[in-house]
Amino acid sequence: MFEFITPLFCLLIVAGTFAGIVFGAIPGLTATMAVAVCLPLTYPLGLENGLALLLGLYVGGISGGLVPAILLGIPGTPSSITTTFDGFPMATAGEGEKALRIGIVSSLVGGLVSLAILFLFAPTLADFAIEFSYVEKFLIIFFALTVMAALSKDLLLGIFSGMLGIFISLIGQYDINNGGNGHIRLVPDGWDYYLDTGFSLLPVLIGLFGLTAILEQAEIGVPKGHSREDLKVGSESTFSFGIFRNQIGNLMRSSCIGTFVGILPGVGGSAASLLAYSNAKSFSRHPETFGKGEPAGIVASEAGNNGLTGGALVPLLSLGIPGDSTTAILIGAFTLQGIQVGPLFIGNNPDTWSAMIVAMLIANIAMFLLMYLAIRHLALVVTVPKHILFPVILMMCVVGAYTINYGIIFDVWTLLIFGLFGWLAVKLRLEVAPFIIGFILGPSAEIYFVKSLESFGDVSIFFTKSWIACVLWLLIIASLAGSLYFSRRAKSETAGE
Amino acid sequence: MSITRRNLIVTGAAATAALAAPRIARAQALPRNVRLVIGSSSTGGDTYQNSAIVADALSEHLGINMRVDAVGASEAFRALGRDSRGTTLMMFHDQSYLQQLYGVEGSEDPFAAYTVGQTVAINPGNAYLVAKSSPYQTMEDVLAAAANGERIRVAIQPGGVSEIGFSAMVNAAKVRAPGSEANIVAVNTGDQADKNQAMWDGLADVINGSIQANEQFTQLPDDDQRAMRFVWITARPETLQQAPAEGMGNTTRDDLLRYASPQTSVTLDGSQDFTFDKEFFFLYNSEMDTAIIDQVDAALTEIYAAGAIQERQLGSFFIPNFLNFADAQAHLTAKRDTYAEVIAEIS
Repeated sequence: MFEFITPLFCLLIVAGTFAGIVFGAIPGLTATMAVAVCLPLTYPLGLENGLALLLGLYVGGISGGLVPAILLGIPGTPSSITTTFDGFPMATAGEGEKALRIGIVSSLVGGLVSLAILFLFAPTLADFAIEFSYVEKFLIIFFALTVMAALSKDLLLGIFSGMLGIFISLIGQYDINNGGNGHIRLVPDGWDYYLDTGFSLLPVLIGLFGLTAILEQAEIGVPKGHSREDLKVGSESTFSFGIFRNQIGNLMRSSCIGTFVGILPGVGGSAASLLAYSNAKSFSRHPETFGKGEPAGIVASEAGNNGLTGGALVPLLSLGIPGDSTTAILIGAFTLQGIQVGPLFIGNNPDTWSAMIVAMLIANIAMFLLMYLAIRHLALVVTVPKHILFPVILMMCVVGAYTINYGIIFDVWTLLIFGLFGWLAVKLRLEVAPFIIGFILGPSAEIYFVKSLESFGDVSIFFTKSWIACVLWLLIIASLAGSLYFSRRAKSETAGE
Repeated sequence: MSITRRNLIVTGAAATAALAAPRIARAQALPRNVRLVIGSSSTGGDTYQNSAIVADALSEHLGINMRVDAVGASEAFRALGRDSRGTTLMMFHDQSYLQQLYGVEGSEDPFAAYTVGQTVAINPGNAYLVAKSSPYQTMEDVLAAAANGERIRVAIQPGGVSEIGFSAMVNAAKVRAPGSEANIVAVNTGDQADKNQAMWDGLADVINGSIQANEQFTQLPDDDQRAMRFVWITARPETLQQAPAEGMGNTTRDDLLRYASPQTSVTLDGSQDFTFDKEFFFLYNSEMDTAIIDQVDAALTEIYAAGAIQERQLGSFFIPNFLNFADAQAHLTAKRDTYAEVIAEIS
């Protein structure tokens, strides 16, 4: 039954995981890109070995994003945005090693929980997933958008920033591949060539997080790097596994949220970590510590985005529908071998199914070992003098932006434009986190909102479609009410001081 | 030997000539690294699958590195338009001209803006399906229902291969019972997942799909919410006859032929059936050196003469359909003109 487990099979998983971590750790390169680059290699390798390589890249790529998110404050992948909120403040306080260890353990748990759910419940969950029509998918996105309120320092300005992000995300074509009409909107005359598909996400992301931080530092004078003595690394690290004693609920909840978002095609990986983070904050006894170096924030974010890995394979292997952008590339490994993926796939291909489960298991373990062993050295990145580190980061950002769409120079301009915008936005008291959440979720929100109205013809459908819609409304209301409550409490505390 | 200025000049000139010689020799040839952009952004679809087969064969035959990039139609045309060196070539199918015939915003006439090249394969899988629990079990049921005043919703992605079958359905309804064509309405969706979901949500009565993507759903038991049934396959029967006898999945070629003309009729004018083969072909930058086209032409001729590529294409349910540059241009121009007339007639 397990004849596919050969030295080559294991080697490909470990090599894929390592390469995936490297891709994920470089801002601008993603798990999706890693899988796309290696896809043509899978035909000569055969299906099981090819999948071993790609699944290693997938798990490694999703996990690697936490390294720059924590150490540099630049999310390596869009799903690592929430990791920067607490990881970077911890690294700034000299606790980068602790933050990395928390992130890696959480990633492992998230990956394994989602793998267990995939193995045990894939067909059942796929049946459940098809209950989610345009209406329910819009409400999930709307729910994720409420995180904008939870993350805002000033509620009104935060929501305004988020709405601005949505507005800018809608520049370009109403994509015909997503059911749109192909109409190009909000594009100034003469800019069609550059903006017909809008601003690319990753250059915007890198610009807002990477370049903005560099410009801010340049404005106040380039600081010295941390000295080795400032860092709590090795025996001085305050990390212990006891940290997770109070985080078991957070770990499990976030892993399940990630898996759940993964099984819904078209909702997107960023929503997984956003929803997990928002929930962790809502359930926390100290929500005010989130965004200031709270370990629970890293736990939620990393368990959530790695939870996605198993979840996104559920619709792929049960319906032939990829759950996220990376599994959309992964399906190419099957088509290159001439194998149909659909509702009969698991039953018709038990060996391939077993190989995928084993490969995911080994990839998660390999990811944990590779990253855990390298932590002590990685954490020292912050000791590199900033006058050396910043130019290197800038160069990586520019190279990453240029390669995202295979060599479009306008993507580098996008990086620079949004880096400058982020720097100005802070001065105007606009908030970057809600802005980028709006930018990421805006296109999906538009498509599902318009499609819901086109399909059902009436706004009341959002309230009457199904019991799932009712549950989602309750969650949305609870999230908004919680944000309002915490915002008022914070204001009254500030006034009291 | 003493080093004189004369010796230095002669040596330098010889070295320059030696370095330049291979470049001059290769100037007319396909570059060492070639990017084959495709008009689809999916690596799970037929365009990627077919392009990967052809790129592998050309890479091996010419000793070059040809890589397929799934960038989508808009970006693929743009990348092709930027590069006249032959470093970027494109592979796409009939949608490249159909979207222009359907007036999709921003689409160009590929016959005018680019050079249309060799055909390599046909995907005979373009199909239309209904839910197994649907009251409409055949195209005859669908057209009869429209004639009886029932509204039939068809999920398609506008402006391409998906829409031309829909246009043919509308036309068949009009031929059968003038006025009934208004009862066949399009539901614009995105990719295949959206079309399937439209059926499961009860938003569409008929969906566009493919044999490859939907065959497994037709094998599900009747009481399964996801179960589907083919009602129409647009390919010509001559094309389907070339598919392997075992067909796809659990559906044999003979089963598939039941859904294609003439056994399933979607009439064009009352006397002949509408058929449509989805063909894949090369597109080149119009200013590119034609020697590169000749090189691809010669290489593909030899590759198809060897025969191995046909086996791989048939194994992936493609029908090999190599036409050299001149023949392909004539064939595709005539095909475009034919469907331009059909669209003008039925729109």
